[in-house]
Amino acid sequence: MAHFAKIGMNGKVIGVLTFGNGDMLNADGVEDESVGQQYLERHNNWPAPMWIQTSYNTRNNTHSSGDNSKALRGNYAGIGYEWDEDNNIFWPKKPYASWVKNTTTASWDSPIGDAPALTAEQESQNTAGTHKWYYVWNEAGQSWDVRDEKA
Amino acid sequence: MHKKVLSEIDLHYGTIDMPKGFEIDRDKLKSDILSSQIKNSKFPYSRNWDMLNTYMREHINVEHGFTLINKETWGNVYKPKEVSIPLLNIDPVDLRNSPDYTFLYGVNVKDCSVRIHYDQNRRAGRSWDIPLENNGFIMFPSTQMYYITNNQTDSLNFILTTTYEFI
Repeated sequence: MAHFAKIGMNGKVIGVLTFGNGDMLNADGVEDESVGQQYLERHNNWPAPMWIQTSYNTRNNTHSSGDNSKALRGNYAGIGYEWDEDNNIFWPKKPYASWVKNTTTASWDSPIGDAPALTAEQESQNTAGTHKWYYVWNEAGQSWDVRDEKA
Repeated sequence: MHKKVLSEIDLHYGTIDMPKGFEIDRDKLKSDILSSQIKNSKFPYSRNWDMLNTYMREHINVEHGFTLINKETWGNVYKPKEVSIPLLNIDPVDLRNSPDYTFLYGVNVKDCSVRIHYDQNRRAGRSWDIPLENNGFIMFPSTQMYYITNNQTDSLNFILTTTYEFI
């Protein structure tokens, strides 16, 4: 199946359509995005350049098959995602105002990087089930705060 | 101190911003309104109506996160200086089958305004006036009564109405 994102005037994804791969074959019988775009323009009254192919199996620039050469445009587009033509990536909604784009992983990163790892003691308490430690982003303090869901 | 909004009267308005070359052909919608009025028939399905309807449903979903389902569509023609009767698109004794939202689209309008009536707690009987322009839309809860006014003296106003349920 071929998946195409419908891009609105403000660059947001306003819909995702699926159709048979046979409808995007060129004269040589090879799948061609521009053929799919023309097909969608004809049947959906929306201009061909505003249909962008997206991969159902791509998340965070990795492909579910393990072969990341097949990854397409960072993420599978969803309604409300932003189409970034410059980086050729579909971005999900920005989780916090201070987070920045990581074009390598096609994901949003905090300004101070990933959450730190839990300590060995916290991990063992999680394993034992006495606590449930996890990190949550504190936008006001610009820090990762550790919390215990069982506290 | 916390606040929770239990109910709201949401008014959506703006213009239908279609890509270049894919604009709504309002002349076609105008002739469809005329023909359905003359023949006293249902407003016909057309490519242009579908483009308009799809635009609204998709953009409401993206911007506000709810899905609209079509109920009915019809067109009206208002004479110069005409003020409509009070309009209400729900049936108060059949709310189950009544629509949630009323969508008005300015097909061919000049100096047209819509007055929407609403209550604000004990302050009942308030109204809000909003102009309706060519290629412009207004959408509000179908529980609100409204009037449409053609304020000028020299041309007809063509307005398309669609009602929606939401999920």
